[in-house]
Amino acid sequence: MSATAAQSWRTRLFGTPATGVLTLAIGLFVLWIAVPLIRWALIDASWSGTSRNDCTAGGACWVFVRARFGQFMYGFYPPDERWRVNLAGIIFVLAGAAIVFAPARLRLKLGLAALVVLPLLGIWLLGGGLSLRPVETREWGGLMLTVFISIYSSLIAIPLGIAFALGRQSELPVIRLVSVLFIEFWRGVPIIAVIFLASLLLPLIMPGGIGIDRLARAVIGLGFVIAAYMAEAVRGGLQALPAGQREAATALGLGYWKATGFIVLPQALRISLPAMTNEFIALVKNTTLVLVVSILDLLGIAQASLADPSWVGMNMEAYAFSGTIYWLICFALSRWSRHIEMSSRRR
Amino acid sequence: MDKALAFINDKRVRGLLYQAALLLGLVGLIVYFVRNASENMVKAGIASGFDFLWRTSGIEVPFVLTGYTQQDNILGLFWAGVANTMLVTVIAIALATLLGFVVGIARLSSHWLLSTIAGAYIEFVRNIPLLFFVLFWYFGVIAALPAPRDSLSVFSVAFLNNRGLTIPLPDAPANFRWALLAILLAWLAQWLVARWARLRKERTGQDAPVLTIGLVLVILVPVLAVTYASLTTRWDVPVLRGFNYRGGFVVIPEFVALLAALVTYTAGFIAEIVRGGIQAVPHGQTEAASALGLRRPQILRLVTIPQAMRIMVPPMTNQYLNVLKNSSFGAAIAYPDIVSLFMGSALTNTGQAIEIIAMTLAVYLVIGLAVSAFMNWYNARIALVTR
Repeated sequence: MSATAAQSWRTRLFGTPATGVLTLAIGLFVLWIAVPLIRWALIDASWSGTSRNDCTAGGACWVFVRARFGQFMYGFYPPDERWRVNLAGIIFVLAGAAIVFAPARLRLKLGLAALVVLPLLGIWLLGGGLSLRPVETREWGGLMLTVFISIYSSLIAIPLGIAFALGRQSELPVIRLVSVLFIEFWRGVPIIAVIFLASLLLPLIMPGGIGIDRLARAVIGLGFVIAAYMAEAVRGGLQALPAGQREAATALGLGYWKATGFIVLPQALRISLPAMTNEFIALVKNTTLVLVVSILDLLGIAQASLADPSWVGMNMEAYAFSGTIYWLICFALSRWSRHIEMSSRRR
Repeated sequence: MDKALAFINDKRVRGLLYQAALLLGLVGLIVYFVRNASENMVKAGIASGFDFLWRTSGIEVPFVLTGYTQQDNILGLFWAGVANTMLVTVIAIALATLLGFVVGIARLSSHWLLSTIAGAYIEFVRNIPLLFFVLFWYFGVIAALPAPRDSLSVFSVAFLNNRGLTIPLPDAPANFRWALLAILLAWLAQWLVARWARLRKERTGQDAPVLTIGLVLVILVPVLAVTYASLTTRWDVPVLRGFNYRGGFVVIPEFVALLAALVTYTAGFIAEIVRGGIQAVPHGQTEAASALGLRRPQILRLVTIPQAMRIMVPPMTNQYLNVLKNSSFGAAIAYPDIVSLFMGSALTNTGQAIEIIAMTLAVYLVIGLAVSAFMNWYNARIALVTR
């Protein structure tokens, strides 16, 4: 560190007596929290072994997380079939990369094709059937389920959200009223209640004999709520777009659907992408609520693992591990959202 | 043929057609669902209607504000749940606003370490699910507290342990009623004084010592009244007998955990709103105010805060409504709120899903609409008056 840098740090932290006192007070507070935490998590932690008895160091027992790692990731998915989950993940990532790096003129077609093919492929790979061994959704769990629910709920939420955002801007009073009612209703009720509602009412309103899978009910319920929030995010983009864009399109002779599809939506969605990403983050965080209908996502598996009699007292380890994963996912997404917001502002 | 085509292509006609199609589709869908539901309910032998509300509930609730007991009817259970939801929501909103303002202002501090710590806190809580905090506080922190025998004592009158927080309760609440009356009267007087001062200033341009009078009326009177009431009342202080405390009022651990989770989580979001609101006031405003000769506190009170409030009110409303909705996360740890009592216990006992779900959702929608209406009124009051 150069002398001037040291100098500037000194003025920054100890410039005036008041600043110095504040620095010392906060510094002590941070040390008071950080030192025991680091000792527990790293220095005094036990890393290797097979059972609870191997945790003798007094700190965190990461042996527990290692022993349970498969469950935290895949739930009770049969170990021999877990390659299918990995394969589905790899295909989704590769397809996403292919769409991003494809030449602009192919991108839309590729994207639409992926939107039709990938969800079905994912369900087939995870659920089985057609020469793959069937795996019931009861056995799904862990991080895989968190990702699954987030993606499939947004497959419902994004198209519905766009439709209702357009409906809210419509000149036709009935369509506007229906959209406003839909959006405000789902935004006004707690998500936990919606998950209960979906799991109780969906089987009731279907014709007798048609059962809906437990997981599918939760995905549909979440999808509807997030759709209302997505609609508000898209509305922000629609309102930010100058009215001249639609007027110019109409003047060129484009009808409502063409003007919307080719002129308004592409620009509006680009503006609302950060807001939509924030809603997606909220969705990832809210997938944890499926716990109340005993579907075990990452947090649910962590919670359920506390009941294991051979690993009593692992609360902190389970929470630290699952919390870190949630934090990493949401933090990365929020950074990405901020990045696209900044880069679109610069243009 | 051409005429028919022109008719179809008429914008107004087409609009009517679209709307009619939407309405027909919706009505059809609803009729279809209702028919399926009634068929399924007949098959499963589930009753319908709201008669079940007057049946004896028989459900025990560990935390009651309304005087509900097991022998009351299910409607009583409903109100007990509503009261519990409201209690945790109101307290969480107050504490989260306080913590959020502190963190948000710390984030803007010129002190590097302070603003970094505040930033770290915000990034930490905003990127973790609320349910995580609820479970963490409940199973991680409260469950790890000592047993009643070794409670953490707060000045030997309140005790925190793994069975919750035991606080003293006044034996005779009469004095507190008088104190409450005195406080309400003082606040009314403050409102009248402020009104009089504003009118006088508009008429004569003279300042009145509103701040001093206000401090006396708004803070000193309540403090004196409560102190007087507490000193003259006999307190039922909890005492350790056997394995647990007797006397006083027990705040159940579920409440403590849910409140702690709601406050720590929501404060992160409120802090960002506070920061954004203050930063959005253009620097020129402060400069212009100081060029006019206003002093620092005056600038803050008359220029910065009123403009920042204007920006902060709509997102704050959203956060407050979120707290209301998020209080339902208590269902995951069996805090007896409206969702876990009514949508959980009462629904399991009666099986009348549709009525119970409708009532529960109506609670949230009604409270939400009331809060929105109030905040819209407040927002309109402080909004920029443009001519």
